[in-house]
Amino acid sequence: MYKYDYIDQTLVNERVVQFKDQVERRIDGSLPEEEFRPLRLQNGLYHQRHAYMLRVAIPYGLLSSDQLRTLAHIANKYDRGYGHFTTRQNIQFNWIKLEESPAILADLAKVQMHAIQTSGNCIRNITSDAFADVAADEYVDPRPVCELLRQWSTLHPEFAFLPRKFKFAVCGAKEDRTILLCHDVGISLKKNLQGELVADIYAGGGMGRTPILGSLIKENLPWNVLPSYLTALLRVYNRFGRRDNIYKARIKILVKALGPEEFARQVEGEWATIKDGDDNFQQLEWDRVANHFTRPAYKSAQSISTQDLIDGAPANEQVAFARWLERNVKAHQVAGYASVVFSLKPHGSVAPGDATTEQMLAIADLADQYSFGELRVTHEQNLVLADVEQAKLLELWHKAKAQNVVLPNIGLLTDIIACPGGDFCSLANAKSLPIAKAIQERFDDLDYLHDLGEISLNISGCINSCGHHHVGNIGVLGVDKDGKEWYQITLGGEQGNHAAIGKVIGPSFGAEQIPDVMADIIDTFVKHRTADEAFIETYRRLGVTPFKEAAYLNRSKENVVGAGV
Amino acid sequence: MNQNMMQNSKNVLLYPKSGKPSIIANAWLIWNDSDNEKAFPEIEREQKVLAPFQWWLSHGQAQAKDPNSELAKRIQDQTIGVWFAADDDVLKHAEVIELGKLIWPIVGADFPIFRDGRSFSTAALLRERFHWAGEIRAIGDVLIDQLIQGARSGFDSFALRADQNRDVALKQFDLFTVTTQNSWRDRRSQLDSQLEQIK
Repeated sequence: MYKYDYIDQTLVNERVVQFKDQVERRIDGSLPEEEFRPLRLQNGLYHQRHAYMLRVAIPYGLLSSDQLRTLAHIANKYDRGYGHFTTRQNIQFNWIKLEESPAILADLAKVQMHAIQTSGNCIRNITSDAFADVAADEYVDPRPVCELLRQWSTLHPEFAFLPRKFKFAVCGAKEDRTILLCHDVGISLKKNLQGELVADIYAGGGMGRTPILGSLIKENLPWNVLPSYLTALLRVYNRFGRRDNIYKARIKILVKALGPEEFARQVEGEWATIKDGDDNFQQLEWDRVANHFTRPAYKSAQSISTQDLIDGAPANEQVAFARWLERNVKAHQVAGYASVVFSLKPHGSVAPGDATTEQMLAIADLADQYSFGELRVTHEQNLVLADVEQAKLLELWHKAKAQNVVLPNIGLLTDIIACPGGDFCSLANAKSLPIAKAIQERFDDLDYLHDLGEISLNISGCINSCGHHHVGNIGVLGVDKDGKEWYQITLGGEQGNHAAIGKVIGPSFGAEQIPDVMADIIDTFVKHRTADEAFIETYRRLGVTPFKEAAYLNRSKENVVGAGV
Repeated sequence: MNQNMMQNSKNVLLYPKSGKPSIIANAWLIWNDSDNEKAFPEIEREQKVLAPFQWWLSHGQAQAKDPNSELAKRIQDQTIGVWFAADDDVLKHAEVIELGKLIWPIVGADFPIFRDGRSFSTAALLRERFHWAGEIRAIGDVLIDQLIQGARSGFDSFALRADQNRDVALKQFDLFTVTTQNSWRDRRSQLDSQLEQIK
C-alpha cells in the first residue's frame, strides 16, 4: 500500500500543529464556537450528544495492521474501548475530549493517518472498492488514482469552503461496489481500446433529502487530466451551487436545476481554459504512487475447490465452515487465494460496524499472519483480509471465531448497514441501533437467513442518510413526528450496476412494529419468490403492492403515522 | 462612520507573492453603495476608494468616459479600484475587467461570511484567466483561518476583521512548508522534488 514520503509526512505533521493551535484558541476563548465549528469539522471533529466524535479517514478503505493497532490504542486510551467503522470507509470514535484531540491526531500521524476533510463543506475522504486489485471482475486497480486524488484534494485552497460537502467515489471493476452513482462525483475507471487508462465521470448523485443518481457528464477522460477537469467541475459548483438553503446546497441540486447537459457544458467551458495547465498529473507522479501498489509476494499455489476445503474440516464443523465459505469468502484474481470478510454484524449484541480494542488488535495480528499485514474496510461496515491462502482458510476461521467476527451473514438480511443514529448523533431524528438489534434478534436463525439469500437492509436515523437507506433493498429511515420516533420503510433500493433509489411504501411505523413489519415483508417475498430468486428480483417482478399490503394489513392506526418526508 | 462604508480596517495584512507577510497601514476605503448614481458623495478627493463592481458596471463605466468627471480624475490619480461581491460573475464581464486592468491599482473580493468560499474562485480566476498582476484584497468577514486558503488562491492582501489578532495572523503562513497541489503561489512539493532529482 501507499507509504508516505517525507512530504506527505510533513504535511500531516504540520496539519496537527495547525489544529492544535486552533483548539488552543477555542479553549482560550479567542475563537468562538461558531467560527471554530467549520475548522473542527474539516478535521473530522463533531460535537455530538454526549461528547465530541472524531472521524478518522481510511483513504479508499486500505489499512495496515499497524494502523489498525493505532486505532485500537486510540479507542482504548481516548475512548471507551471501541470504534465504529462507517459507511464511507472512515472510523469514528464517539467519546472524545476536545483537549485530547490534538494528541490523537499526533498518534495518527505517526502511522500515516489523519482526519483531514472527513467532514465539513470540502472534498471528503475518497472511497473506493474494498476488493481493489483482488476482485476477479476488475478492469483497473483504482488505488493509484485514489491516492493521487487524495493528495490533490488534501487542503485544496480554492475548495475549502464549498456550498456543501463533496464526496468522490472511484471504481474500476465490472460490478460497482462503491455506490458510485450516489456520490457528488463518481469516477469510473477503465482501459480504452488503445489500452490507456481513462475515466467516465458521473456528477450530481447523492442521497440525503433528495436522493438522485449521478449523470454521466464526461466519457473517456484521460487519467492524467483529472486534476484540471475536477478543478473545472468544482469551480462551477463553488461559484454557482446554492448557499441560501443547506438542503439545496449539494451539487445534485445544481446539476438537476441546470440539467446534466448544461452542467457538463459549463464544466467543459471552464476546463477548456485549464486543460493543458500544469495541474495535470505527470507520468513520473503516477510511477511514484503506483509503485506502492505492487502485488504482495503470492506463493504459487493451486486453486482448491470449495468441496475440498469443506472436506478438510472436521466432520462436526463442516456445515458451519461451508456456510462461512459461501457467505464470507470471496473469489480472488490469484489461484490458491481468497478474500475473507470479517462480519462486524453479530446478531443483536453490538452496533453494526463496531469493533473493540481487543478485536482490532487480534484482527491486526491475523492480517499479519494471513494477509500480508493489510486490511480493507468496506462501506458495508465490515473488514476484509484480501489476500488469504485458501489452504489456510480453516485455520483462520478457527482463530477469527474467538473474536466473534465469523458470523456467516455477509450480504444477508442481518448484515445491516446503519448509522450511529440518535444514540450518539445530534443530527438524528431517531435511533437506528436498537432497530438493527431488534431485527437481528428477530431473524437470528442462520438456516432461514441463508434460505432468504441476498437482501440488503439499510437504516438511517435521519434524512442525512448516513446509513444509505435509499439504496437498501429494504430501507429504514427514522423520522420525528410530534417528539416521537417513527420509521419509514422504502423498498427496491439497490447498489451496484443496477443502482436504484428505494420507494417509500407509505406511512411510518412505531419502533416496536418494525421487526413484525420486516417479517411481513419477508414472508411476502418467501410466498411469491420463484426458485432461487433474490429479494430484489421478486420485488422488481411484482412491484411494491403485495409488500405494501402485507406491511399495513392488521396494523392499527395508532401504530402508523403519515410522517411524509 | 457612513453606513455605506464597509468596516474600514486601520491596517491590512500584505503578503506579496514572493515576499514576506507584514501588517501595513490601510490606504483603501471600501465604499458599499451600488445604487448611488453620483460618485463618492462624502469621500474626500484624495481618499483611495474601492467601489462595488456592480456600481462600476451601472454608473462608473459611463462616468469614466467623461474626462471632466471626478471619476476620470481619480483614475488619473490611481485612487479608484473595485471590489467584487461573492456573487459577481467575473467571467461574464471579461471586457470590463480587461479594461480595468489598465485603470485599477487594486481590486477586492468580498467574504459576506467567512465560510462562503466563492471569492477563492474569484481570486483564482482573476489570476489564471485575466492574469491580474496587481493586488487582490480579501475584504468582509476575513478571519485568521482563511488566510492560508486565500493566499494560495490568489489574494495578496487581507483586510482582517477588526477583532482578529494580527500576530496570530502573521504566523499562519509559516504553518505549512509543503503542499500537494498547485496553487497561485506554489507548485506541488512532490513533483518539484521529483523534477529536482531528475536534474
